[in-house]
Formats: sequence, structure tokens, C-alpha cells
Amino acid sequence: MVYQPADGDMLQGLRKSVAIAWYFAWSDTRARYKRSVLGPFWLVLSTLIGVVGLGFVWSTLLHTDKAAFIPSLAIGLVVWNMITGSIIGGCTVFTKRASIIRNIKTPSLRLSLELLFQQIINFAHNLLVVLLVLVVFQQPLSLVTLLVIPGLLLVFINLWWVIQLLGFIGARFRDIDPLVQAIMPILFFLSPVLYHSHQLGRTQIIMAFNPMAYWLDIVRGPLQGVVPDARIWVGTILMAIVGWALALWMTKAKGARLPFWV
Amino acid sequence: MAEITLQNVSVEYPIYNLRAMSLRNNLLAISTGGRLSKESRGIVSVRALDGISLKLKEGDRLGLIGHNGSGKSTLLRTLAGIYTPTRGRISIDGRVSTVFGLGAGLELELSGYENIIRMAMMLGASRRQAEAVIPDIEEFSELGNFLSVPVNTYSDGMRTRLSFGVATAMHPEILLVDEVLGAGDAEFQVRARKRMVKFIERSSIFVLASHSPELIETFCDRTIHLEHGRLIGEEVVRKSPAATATPRNPVP
Repeated sequence: MVYQPADGDMLQGLRKSVAIAWYFAWSDTRARYKRSVLGPFWLVLSTLIGVVGLGFVWSTLLHTDKAAFIPSLAIGLVVWNMITGSIIGGCTVFTKRASIIRNIKTPSLRLSLELLFQQIINFAHNLLVVLLVLVVFQQPLSLVTLLVIPGLLLVFINLWWVIQLLGFIGARFRDIDPLVQAIMPILFFLSPVLYHSHQLGRTQIIMAFNPMAYWLDIVRGPLQGVVPDARIWVGTILMAIVGWALALWMTKAKGARLPFWV
Repeated sequence: MAEITLQNVSVEYPIYNLRAMSLRNNLLAISTGGRLSKESRGIVSVRALDGISLKLKEGDRLGLIGHNGSGKSTLLRTLAGIYTPTRGRISIDGRVSTVFGLGAGLELELSGYENIIRMAMMLGASRRQAEAVIPDIEEFSELGNFLSVPVNTYSDGMRTRLSFGVATAMHPEILLVDEVLGAGDAEFQVRARKRMVKFIERSSIFVLASHSPELIETFCDRTIHLEHGRLIGEEVVRKSPAATATPRNPVP
């Protein structure tokens, strides 16, 4: 039995790339948890522990109402995990797959899509925690909740270019990976995960310069029955356009050098 | 119609030492006005291919010979479209299959079956096509029940059987092979060679990089000789009567 891969047009090639990226992301996730009993649900458990632990400590420290604080924290933390996973993973997305890049002709965008899919799979598992919290704290569901779908799509589109761009930079400059790992914890406190941007009062202006604040707000707002500001939507869309322009420029300019960098 | 044309192709590798890979040195290079840049950035460029011109058409069987580091593997990777020429022009018309870097993308925690699908997909098959080659690989690899257990329980030879089986299940158009195999027992070598012969027969253009005159004589019609990335000789292979594709020697 032999197979004959079809040459196909670009659309077919794209569909095939997406199928490969998905299959690889899924089987990598399975491989990672192969011999553990809980499997990917370890991730859910660790998120749950994080939400409960941080929830009680911070709501006490900040003197806020747990019923308001914990849902907001749960959503924030789950989105934050996906963002940091993409950013930190993005730095090594190509170097970790060096043997593939050097031996098989592989579009770099497919490898970054694979990492994005992995992050989305993790995120989907973590949504269980969000669901649980929304039920326990009886958050109101309405049509506004549906806005979370375009919001999440915009976040995915943004994370994809972030991974692609960081992948190139991280392959060329090996300091980027430890550097990013070092600054992510402080970015956690500079992003509205434990709090809302408006709680910062006049200093909330700094959130205008934090891309992650936009991504957090665009997902958390709808889930808590708040329509995100037009500023958030426009900002996120603009970031996607500018980011993709950069990432595609990088791919076109340096894609040929990638096999030598990794 | 498969065809490959190279016009005056050069490929230069940047070699980054540890200092060149670091951001600090690049920033330093900017702040010192680039005067120190040559030393502090430490990028040495190696010309792995130098002005290669070549034309391959339907039915060609080409052997690449030359010492280690003469550019054979770089040329194969350039023909495969992995490396892009830094100078000159290349046009590749046809679908390229490669047998080198076997085991790239092997996920040790996953079973043999899952790895068959992953590797076949990476080499260009769709999910359904990948599943369709499983019986063929089951038969060739003779791994039996081992295909259901994680690959990290396999010996080196078993891994080779698996990845070689997948790499040669393709229907190749342009086939590029690097002399990489060697693992596996004598009995496997015989079967691998048989499979390789059939695999090569199905291709319309075949390029083999090898150190073995015997293999070149068996599989190729002409050879090019590379040295320091330059093409220094080209000749037609004279077939001696003894050289037939009989399964007795190691596969390429």
C-alpha cells in the first residue's frame, strides 16, 4: 500500500497544515500525561488549587467580597495561563523542533499553530474551573455572555502572531527565553488578573500600554455580564493587525534562515 | 514532469558561537558603533555550497560523492527546499520525498501506531492516507504487538525499522536519500534493501548521497563529485555485470 499525497491548491495545503497541527497538538498533550491517572486534569486541579488559594488569601487581604472576587480571579487566571503558556512556549517553539525543521520541509506557521492549539486544549480543560466557579457563585448569564466567543477568537489570533514572532527571536537570540521567563511573574502583577483595571483609579492609564490587559478584559468582561469598552475591541483588533504584519514580515524575511538558527 | 534546475547555487551557513547568540553582544555591538562588531558578534560564515549548477530530469539517477563535509547533505537539503540558496537560483518542479534524518519528530511517549500517523503526516500524508499505510508498515517492520506500546521501550534497531518503514511508504516523485541507515540486524538489512529498491523504482528522479561505491554503482547512472562545496567532477557510472540490485549489502 502506498499513498500519494495530493499536490493540491493552497486552500487544501492550509487545511492539511491545520489538520497536522491539530493532530500533533492533541497527541503531544496525550504524550505528556500518558502515564498519569488524572492526565490533563492535573492541569485543571492545579488551576482549581490556584483559584481557591489565591482567592481566599487575596480577597481577605484586599477586603473584597469573595463572591465578586473569585469568579473574576478564576477567569483571569485561566486566560493568564494561556497567555503565559503561549509567550514562554513561543520562545522555544522552533528550537525545540530543530530536528524537524532541519530534516523535513515544514512551514514555520504550522509549528506555531501547533503550540497555539496545545494552549487552547489546556485552556479548554481549565474552562471546567471557570464553569464550576460561575455555577457556585451564580453569575448571571445573558446574551452578553456570547460576546466571549469573538473575544476569545481575537485573543487566539493575537497569541498566534506572538508565538510566531517570539519563535524567530528566540531562535536567533537564546537569551530571550530566560529573559521572558524572568519577567513573566512581575507582568502577572502588572496585569489585571488579581484586580480590575478600573480599581487602579488614575494610574489605570498604564493598562493602556499592556496588551495582556486588553486580552484579559475582552474575555472576562462578557463572562461577567459586562460588554467590553469599544477601546478594548479596537485595541485588540489593531494589535492583531500590527502584530501579524510584523510576524509575516519576519517569516518572509528570515524564514529561510530558520534552519540555520535552530 | 519532475525537473530540478540549479543555476550557480551557493548556500552560506552562519555559524553562531555562543557569544553571537546572546543579546548582550548584539546590544554592545550597537553601542560601540559596530566597530567591534566583527569580533564581538563572532558570526562566521561558511560556504557549504559554492556555485553549483545542475539539471535533473525525469528518469535521472544521480549519486553524490565526496568526503565528509564536502556539501553532500547540504545539497540534498537544498534540493528538498529546506535550505534556501543565498545566491543563485533553484527551481524544483515536483513533489519531494526524503529519506534522511530518520526519527525526526518521533515522540517517545507515544505508541508505534501513533508515531506512524504523525511521521506520515509530517511527510505529507493526510490523516486518512496515514492510517492507510499502517498495514504495510506492520508487515515490513515486523514489530507486532510492540506497535501498541510507547516507542521509548524500543531498541535502536526497532526504532529504525519503524521510521524507515514510514519514510519508504511514500509514493515518491523526486526522491532524496542520505546514507544514514546501518542499524538493524543482517536480516533486516536484506529486507530494507529490497524495500529501498522498490521505493527507488517508483521515483522519477532519484538522488543518493553515499560513501559506498557499490551502492552508487547499483542505484545511480551518473555521479557528481563535491569538494568544499564545489562541483569538481561529473561522470557516468559504468555498470559492471556483478552490480545488480541484489539484497546482500547494507542499504543506503
